[in-house]
Amino acid sequence: MKKRRNWAPYLLILPSVIYLAIFFAWPMARAMTLAVWDADAVLRLKAEASAESAGAGTLPRGMQVEILGQQGNIVAPEELTQRNLRTERWFRVEAEGADGQPVSGWAQETRVRVREESESGEPLAGTIRRKLGSDADPLTDVFSEASVASAVAGRLEANTRVEIREQAMLELWYLVRGEADGTPAEGWAQSRYIQVYADDTTGRIDRGNAGELTNRYIQAMVNDRFFWPALWTTFLLMVLIIPVQFVLAMIMALIIQQQLRGNSFFLYVFAIALGVSDLAVGIVWYAIFTQYGYLNSILQGLGLIDAPIAFLTADTRYWIIIAIWLAEVWRATSIVMVVVVSGLQAIPNEVLEAADLFGAGLWKRIRFVILPMLKPSLQVALILRTILALQVFAVVIALSGGDIVTVLANEAYRQYYDLRNVNVAAAYAGLILLLSMVSAVIYLRLVRSNEEAQA
Amino acid sequence: MSASGQLAQTAPVQASAEMQKVRQAALRRQRLNRGVTYFIAILICLWVLIPIWFIASMALTTPEVVRSYPKGVLPFIPFSFETMRFFLSSQGIIPGTINSIIVAIITLLLSTIIAAPAGYAISRYLFPGRDFYRLSILAVRAFPVVILAIPLAVVFINFGIYDSVYSLALMHTALTLPTTILVIGSVFASIPYELEEAAQVYGCTPLQAFRTVVLPLVAPGIAAAAIFTFVMSWNEVFAASILTVRNRTLPAQVLSTLSQSSEPYQFAGAFFMMIPAMIFIFVIRRYLFNMWGQISK
Repeated sequence: MKKRRNWAPYLLILPSVIYLAIFFAWPMARAMTLAVWDADAVLRLKAEASAESAGAGTLPRGMQVEILGQQGNIVAPEELTQRNLRTERWFRVEAEGADGQPVSGWAQETRVRVREESESGEPLAGTIRRKLGSDADPLTDVFSEASVASAVAGRLEANTRVEIREQAMLELWYLVRGEADGTPAEGWAQSRYIQVYADDTTGRIDRGNAGELTNRYIQAMVNDRFFWPALWTTFLLMVLIIPVQFVLAMIMALIIQQQLRGNSFFLYVFAIALGVSDLAVGIVWYAIFTQYGYLNSILQGLGLIDAPIAFLTADTRYWIIIAIWLAEVWRATSIVMVVVVSGLQAIPNEVLEAADLFGAGLWKRIRFVILPMLKPSLQVALILRTILALQVFAVVIALSGGDIVTVLANEAYRQYYDLRNVNVAAAYAGLILLLSMVSAVIYLRLVRSNEEAQA
Repeated sequence: MSASGQLAQTAPVQASAEMQKVRQAALRRQRLNRGVTYFIAILICLWVLIPIWFIASMALTTPEVVRSYPKGVLPFIPFSFETMRFFLSSQGIIPGTINSIIVAIITLLLSTIIAAPAGYAISRYLFPGRDFYRLSILAVRAFPVVILAIPLAVVFINFGIYDSVYSLALMHTALTLPTTILVIGSVFASIPYELEEAAQVYGCTPLQAFRTVVLPLVAPGIAAAAIFTFVMSWNEVFAASILTVRNRTLPAQVLSTLSQSSEPYQFAGAFFMMIPAMIFIFVIRRYLFNMWGQISK
């Protein structure tokens, strides 16, 4: 062990620290955020139709609003793909004005009928459209900039020929008025946030541009009809699986410790499940418990039943739980076993021999020598197993189809995959993280207080 | 048990009749204990092996036998690759297998490359913050990392790298990295630093000492860690199902078609997924305690 202080170890651990920061710490923060943060809950209005202008109050998403006016504004090309965007096209035109002077300025596409196009489809020239209605101003305004708010550069008569020099894409901004919690708010907002009704004078706020804390995803999770069954099943499985696993793992570890002939064979067989995927294990136990599966074949072969029993149905939920329980014990005991064996190897042989010499039987040796000395290993295995039990997933899907009996991880998957509800899925992820942390803290506390009591 | 055995063997040859009795009782007790231990060991082996036997005999027969009832407990009657062939020719299985292998190999490489220096650092240097780093790695190891696939999916969609085997490999690396760091750390710790020092005394540069002395000794252990990384990635199904849609890995593909698929497909799929894992665990069985023992220290 090098004790010199230098920068080398920090350099060596740096890649792993960076990697885990990006792919562990950050997603964890994101999971929490997704679960409690409604990213587009409120719309911030602007005093004028420009992104730089001052704020003019906020309105919540879904609010009905009056539309008082509209105006186009230049929009960056990469933002044109936004959903709901309402745009208008403007042309920079050159023509002879109504007063005989040459005019150069911007006009809306709706005012120009394009007559000539280049080979690539670019408009080159056109004529000014005639305005409909007898009381309308017969002349068309040309603006100095691509905005109706800018100065008028000249006026054109209908059917004037114009040369089109340039075109620009504008996004509409709407001047909206609405009332949130009794306080009226009026201001400008981009079309992408607003759904305008057919009458063009009313609409609703489709999404906001600012977030706020919300508990509605957590409420949606708790109110989901699968939530409480999933939570209880998860706890039930934990309570059923963990004690059996520890006893079985203890037995396996003591057998390995005996160094029997064929020890390496026993070790391999006990450890096989360590490498077997949980989905495969689920299917294996499905093959045993399915109506025309092995269990029924054997029972019928022994003459215990006359016809196959349907185990895995909605009416026999307890059989599904039993099947999941057996499958999980089968699959995940090996990891506890390995931790316990390496803990056993740390117990000095002299201690065990001494206990033997003083006439301690197997049970006494386990109770008074092995268990107390194994405590740190058992504690680690217990934390590991509890947290793994919270993630039981594929076994449940394979054995129950995923809805007769359901667990938390399963619900997170269903919310994300079937219901496309990322935020609620993140709420489930947050809950699982929370339960993992709580159980780890409880174990550590319990063990520490035991040690303090002994001291 | 072993102690009483030794006691019996080392008893003096010319013993009194009473001593003889005691000795025989001890031997009998020992034999009985052995017998009981063997009996329990074999029972547990059956508990582990019988389900594998069942699924293997379903996978290596004809689909008609798979559908038949009651099922025979004797395996492989008739022996046939037809069920396996049916499974492998199903849609998405061969591409899924290839995807799984790609993901697992990238995960193995990334994870080993990042973990090896970190493992070396925690086993060879005492530096301020070392305990904190080790504890953090342990905490990450114990965390339900796969659950983080959900927020990561959102991030990957925003960056346009969703539904790709490469981004799934990034996730799997985060999943396996803590284990790999701890395992490689324990592999390095099992090689005394004095060896490295001795090589340096005889004129090697630190790098040469590492390459010629340490590397050959740790290579098998690191290979075992890498293989276990491969197995973890090959088996992982939750993150794979969430992060891929069209480029599914094998377990994700099987899971997504599970409810619509026939029993021969499911059973052959389960067996197919188990084969590499069983082989790899056999290859690295000697290193298992090296790998997992660390975690409790």
